Amino acid sequence: MSILLVKARLNWRALRCQHQLFKDYYQSLVPLLAMPVSEAPLVAMDLEMTGLDPLQDQILSIGLVPIEHGVIPLEGAQQKLVQIRGSVGQSATIHGILDNHLVQAVTIEEAMAWFIAKTRGRVLVAHHSPLDCRFLQQDILAIYHQAVFLPSIDTLMLEKHRLLRGHHAIKEGSLRLGACRERYGLPIYSAHSALTDALACAELLLAQVAAMGGARQLKVAELMQQSS
Amino acid sequence: MNASELQPVVQFLKGLVPFDTLPDEVILRCAKAVIIGYYSKASAYVSFDANAPKLYIVRSGAFEVRDPEGVLVDRVGEGEFFGFSTLLSGEKVVNKVAILEDGLVYHLPQHLFDQLRSESRNFDKFFTRAFAKRLRHEARFKAKDLTTTSRISTLMSPDPIAIDAHASVTQAALLMRNARVSSLLVTDNHKLVGILTDKDLRNRVLAAGLDGRLAVHQAMTVSPISISSNALIFEAMLLMSEHNIHHLPIIDEGKAIGMVTSTDILRGQGSQPLLLIGEIERQQDLASLISVSKQIPLLLQNLISADARAEEIGRVLTSVTDALTRRLIVLNQQLLGDPPMAFCWLAFGSQGRQDQAACSDQDNGLLVAEEMDDYAKGYFDALTHAVCAGLDQCGYVFCPGNIMAQNPQWRMSLKQWQHVFEKWVITPEPKALMHASIFFDMRSVYGPQTLFDALQDKVLAQTRDNDIFLAGMTGNSLIESPPLGFFRTFVLERDGSEVKGIDLKHKGNALINDIARVYALSAGIKEVNTAKRIRALMDANILNRKDALNLADAHEFIAHMRLANQGYQYTQGQKVSNYLLPGHLSSLVRHQLRDAFKVVHDAQSGMKMKFMRSF
Repeated sequence: MSILLVKARLNWRALRCQHQLFKDYYQSLVPLLAMPVSEAPLVAMDLEMTGLDPLQDQILSIGLVPIEHGVIPLEGAQQKLVQIRGSVGQSATIHGILDNHLVQAVTIEEAMAWFIAKTRGRVLVAHHSPLDCRFLQQDILAIYHQAVFLPSIDTLMLEKHRLLRGHHAIKEGSLRLGACRERYGLPIYSAHSALTDALACAELLLAQVAAMGGARQLKVAELMQQSS
Repeated sequence: MNASELQPVVQFLKGLVPFDTLPDEVILRCAKAVIIGYYSKASAYVSFDANAPKLYIVRSGAFEVRDPEGVLVDRVGEGEFFGFSTLLSGEKVVNKVAILEDGLVYHLPQHLFDQLRSESRNFDKFFTRAFAKRLRHEARFKAKDLTTTSRISTLMSPDPIAIDAHASVTQAALLMRNARVSSLLVTDNHKLVGILTDKDLRNRVLAAGLDGRLAVHQAMTVSPISISSNALIFEAMLLMSEHNIHHLPIIDEGKAIGMVTSTDILRGQGSQPLLLIGEIERQQDLASLISVSKQIPLLLQNLISADARAEEIGRVLTSVTDALTRRLIVLNQQLLGDPPMAFCWLAFGSQGRQDQAACSDQDNGLLVAEEMDDYAKGYFDALTHAVCAGLDQCGYVFCPGNIMAQNPQWRMSLKQWQHVFEKWVITPEPKALMHASIFFDMRSVYGPQTLFDALQDKVLAQTRDNDIFLAGMTGNSLIESPPLGFFRTFVLERDGSEVKGIDLKHKGNALINDIARVYALSAGIKEVNTAKRIRALMDANILNRKDALNLADAHEFIAHMRLANQGYQYTQGQKVSNYLLPGHLSSLVRHQLRDAFKVVHDAQSGMKMKFMRSF
């Protein structure tokens, strides 16, 4: 998506949106687009879901890891487990989340209110962000009756563009989070949770930004542009 | 948030010395306070925020620390640190940190670093010790005390029973009866003047028909042989068997603080080196000595696996060599007849310093009282050849440099030896300096102490404050320098090159031996054992206390690592050598060895300043 278009959509939404919460949300993002990555507040996120279909599947947990001034302050790293309708079912084996873990879990309404508050004024970063965004949009629509626009930086697409620029053949699986991290010599994390994957994504972004010329040179808008 | 959620960070810190000793909740507190930065080669150097000093913990990548003059300070990889010297000193960052490989670095803020230091002694020690280059060992490196290597002080009774020299023997006998002891220390004005034993009362009082009013000083054994409180038990036993005595007063700083008897020692018996030495002393011919000496490698392995202090292992092994040498001398004298004149068997090098280890070769010489006539020449030629050949067959191979008593060049009269040493001291040529490192560490293994003292006193009088000689010795010992530390699986040299392993003898202990020797010769100190030399230099205020203790600790630590490495090689069926491969070292040991190398390097610089200033 062209950056002018992103900016125009954000401004337009900010102007037209009837819901103050989202009006603020859009307005908080506009000034970030022109900022260098070294200045702009970002937030890496990861979602664990019961499946891949936003219409049928549910969010199990959300991990958020802030990126500020080009570094990752872990103090702000947070994770929320989300209550779901019915059993965790099949995906429990994948995510290691068991029904009784969900005792600490919050409702999806609480989770979305928390998510909007935490990510306000921060550009979202995720590995394969469209999927996560579709789940968030679906839940926000159901709760707030708002079809929200969630601009984001996608570390998977950044990597795809980089590989294509270098005329690399993209093999199956080579764009997975772990495979991308390996190319930058980042440590291998065996444990998976929304929070550790969000952290893994945040670190990957820092490495990608360094490889692309550094956080001072790159603007948020350029990263967004290369995320589509 | 619970610990499992920041698992990659928590797990990493948990496995990292010195965080590994912190409780889980503290680790989680650290993980939450960490700020992760990514450093890219493209930016060349790490930029520091002067207002917010931090501890930098390398998670991945590689970095290089250089001082303002550009001298390499350290190269750090995964699981290592930089930036802590600023945190400790509170001074501005002066070192530059270059980025060698892209990587993630955890930043820990100053306030948390300070908090951890105040909460955990272990954490504090790790960083302050590295900073102050202190090396006091961790409990895990503190060698266990064996019966064979434990101190004589552990055997003696805490409050010794003493009597005034002018008291009567009846008073003495009463005291002995009431205290149930077989001997008394005899003092005059709190000074030890003798000992009084059951045997003295029997032989010198009753058998002589004297009565109980006799003064103690008339019945006592005058100026008894004594031993220092930090001597080893087996050394006390050696002394007793050498002089055929059963009581040894224990002296600490010139004062008698106790007494140890052969019975006390027998109670803690069963020690292998003592049995071995006893066995050596019982053998009547070379063939049986050779077969007894086959136990020596096993003795070394036992001492290593028992984790005895390296210094004590050196002393134990050297005592065995000394005993073997003496036995060979005695046996051959029985064959050759009485010697035509007094002589001393001189031990040089590692035997002289009492730090023999595995695969030692011979370094010895003969000092005779007067000029030798043809008969004397023939006698000593036969004696020395027999002893050197015997040592060779017992596993102490002939010296490749031919520094042996059987070589007529190193078999001389007192005058000739004095002359040879004088030549080395006056014209310190390269060859003389090379010899010096061996010959100046000399000790008499056999023969009258007065004869040996006559040589050593003369030599020390010449070396003392002899600027030209000392500068030459210093220059010679600065040819080698210890490595800087380790980087990943390599040893990092001071010039930044990476090598596979390190010779712990020649790039470690030998350098400390050199330093101790130069200082000792400059001050006329008679000790030749490196630890004792350092101690004497400290007592004489020639080395300051901190430097001296650091150097002694570094010496022990490196020697300990050398022996542990040899023990490892031995159990792995590898060839035993001084060569250490850093691959299997724990990060704590790497850290400590690095500190030890730093101590050696600093001591070398100090020595250079002191003795080479004007050259």
